[in-house]
Amino acid sequence: MKVALVGQPNSGKSTLFNAVAGYRSLTSNFAGTTVEYTHGQARVGGEVLELIDLPGLYSLTPTSAVEEVSRDYLLGGDWDLIVNVLDASQLARSLELTLELLDLESPLVVCLNMMDEAARKGMTIDTHALEISLGVPVVEAIGARGRGILETFRMAQEVAASGKRSHAFIYAPEAESMVEELAEKIAAGVQGRQVAVPDRSGVGEGVGVSNQESGHSPALDSAAFSCMAGRCSSACCGHSSAMDGQQGPRVTAAVAVLAAQPLLIRPPTNSKALPFQSPIVNHQSQIAEFPPPRFRALQWVQSDPGQTRREEPEMAPLVEWAQAEIALRTGQPADAAISAARHAACLTLFERVARITRPKADWREQVDRLAMHPIWGYAVLMGVFLGFFRLIFDVGKLGEDRILNLFDAVVAALAQHMNPQGALFAGAKGAVLGTAGAVAIVLPYLLPFLVGLAILEDIGYLSRVGYLMDAAMHRLGLHGTATLPILVGYGCSVPAVMATRILTTRRDRFIAAFLAVLVPCSARMTVIFALVGFYLGANYALGIYALNIVVIAIAGHVLARIWPEISPGMLMEVPAYRVPGVRVVVLKTWWRLREFVLVAFPLLVVGSVVLSLVDYYGWQHGINAALSPFTALLGLPRSVGLTLIFGVLRKELSLLMLMQALGTTHVLGVMTAAQILIFTLFVTFYIPCMATLASMTRELGWRLTLAASGALLALAIVVSLAARGVMLLF
Amino acid sequence: MRDSANFDSPLNLYEAYDHAELRILLITGGWEVRRSFNQMGIQPGDCIRVLRRAPFGGPLMIDNQGTQVAVGKQLAEKIRVEVLQ
Repeated sequence: MKVALVGQPNSGKSTLFNAVAGYRSLTSNFAGTTVEYTHGQARVGGEVLELIDLPGLYSLTPTSAVEEVSRDYLLGGDWDLIVNVLDASQLARSLELTLELLDLESPLVVCLNMMDEAARKGMTIDTHALEISLGVPVVEAIGARGRGILETFRMAQEVAASGKRSHAFIYAPEAESMVEELAEKIAAGVQGRQVAVPDRSGVGEGVGVSNQESGHSPALDSAAFSCMAGRCSSACCGHSSAMDGQQGPRVTAAVAVLAAQPLLIRPPTNSKALPFQSPIVNHQSQIAEFPPPRFRALQWVQSDPGQTRREEPEMAPLVEWAQAEIALRTGQPADAAISAARHAACLTLFERVARITRPKADWREQVDRLAMHPIWGYAVLMGVFLGFFRLIFDVGKLGEDRILNLFDAVVAALAQHMNPQGALFAGAKGAVLGTAGAVAIVLPYLLPFLVGLAILEDIGYLSRVGYLMDAAMHRLGLHGTATLPILVGYGCSVPAVMATRILTTRRDRFIAAFLAVLVPCSARMTVIFALVGFYLGANYALGIYALNIVVIAIAGHVLARIWPEISPGMLMEVPAYRVPGVRVVVLKTWWRLREFVLVAFPLLVVGSVVLSLVDYYGWQHGINAALSPFTALLGLPRSVGLTLIFGVLRKELSLLMLMQALGTTHVLGVMTAAQILIFTLFVTFYIPCMATLASMTRELGWRLTLAASGALLALAIVVSLAARGVMLLF
Repeated sequence: MRDSANFDSPLNLYEAYDHAELRILLITGGWEVRRSFNQMGIQPGDCIRVLRRAPFGGPLMIDNQGTQVAVGKQLAEKIRVEVLQ
């Protein structure tokens, strides 16, 4: 059985997933996108459940690419049951997605997560009343403490076995007749044919007719069963009188339900005679279409008119008619009318099932008063990041030295067992050194970084960083959320690029990744300080950092011009602080690490082998000659050509190779101060290292990676030439 | 519930005082803007409060029935509000 976990962001879905699915779970991309989901298997009560943890989504009418992909997956119907995870402490808002999911008329279980959080807020929730109102089982859970998780999945099995499905929740009676009209057209398969816009006066009658035709409607029972929210269920009880007198524009919910239901469960044969159905019987065979026509009609009514015209030109006239009609009746745009009605229904539901008393005194408000303070907030931010980097470097350094020594020993051992002059040894040495680069240099820094990132994410601090830095990042054409990748860039570009995943649009990801790789990483820092800092003085080195910040600001401005912003600004939920779950942190780290290992390790090893062989066969002279016009342009010695290529493999290699190429460690003897400065500037800005390129390809696709590399190369040339020009002038 | 005279309220969310009880009258702007606010559970009629604001024209932090949402300046200016007593 395939179970889709659906919930709003920060609802604790992943905690639920991780609690049962575990280490063998996989993250995959939705076909043709960079949007990821996690899937795995869990054994519950002797049955193996296939779990799909979809990215969080606020509603089924998406505003971001991530949400769109999640919705498309849901509407694809490749699942047997939905577990809707709710943050109980945000019940009113969370119910909005639940109401939309009910419209899918599919097996559904609601998991009311974070009940402890709700209690802390002074909320008591009558789960039973909620269950009756929604017409689907509701299970209480505290995912972080493992409570209610198994119960949720057991309930899922029970629901799936019974074949019980959710029922559409009618919340916008004014819109119902239009929605139903659309649904009818959809059910009848009008797509592809010209749609006649119905005469407005005929709407009421149309409802009556389809009502009469359906005769004995199963909706009667199902409506009563699902107890659709107060006014609706009471209206259902008086359905006979409503049916007789109903002609006017104010079609009541009851009639709409009665009229709409037969369409929804119309058998594929399109026969009008419906057999009597108990609502608990599996409707699968009777469902003509998934997603249900009523659901699709509602989606269309709420859609952006321009989009409908582009994507469904045949349906557009009818959709626009329905939207205009709803707007006329409610005095606001159709999408606003429907979402307002849904919002009101959620609030009503919330008031009915939840009681709020005085919340317990909360230390977290005090923390936020400091962490988001206009002045102290930035001090805290700096403290957190300095501490974070300190931790990464301390742990990284510890690992790097030890593991590198290990690899040096391996190379020494190889030299004893093989002919040190042979090509085979050169290749093997390259492979070992490449592995060393991946295992000893990247891994020790990446691992603590990933753990730290997962913890910061889980605590909820990252969204506070976004809030604090939003104004500053706007100047770079980005939002506050993009702060993290750019700051992380000072450590290592690989995790920086991976961190762009927290951004929602492809544009933001690209710009943030581009700017993040422009930031001098720790490897480039060694080059800057060992060359410029050592030979020219610390002020020059710091000058390079300052120049780098200026270049980043300009690049951000230019990129924002080339690829303008579509989203109108920051709108982000700031979740309450939470204690991070060990399991979630470990699993998140593990998945991210595994991805990096799979993509970057092979590249590093192969690249290293190739370069060793180049060195072995003495091809560097040819390469240096080929690059000579380029090195001459920058005014650099010819012998540094190959060094720059090595720098693509690993940035700090360009330093070692420079000394090797020049045949001395006393660089100032063979290069002028100006040449050292230009060389360092070029190395700082040009194409990122192989591991970074690999993770960029992973996050952005090869096209954008190629474009970014070209742009960075051009940028490096421009900056170096400008520096050369300035130095020639003085 | 709605007092039509208040639709002319010149006050937008960004201009409102911190910590005051506010009621959303209208969300101006197009489909996209309405959808984004709707997704965060913010709708006309809701009572909200500005908790704090980031410096240099940064976002506002608002409280909407216990949910805290950061709202950027441009978006905050699209929300017309009235001050409740």
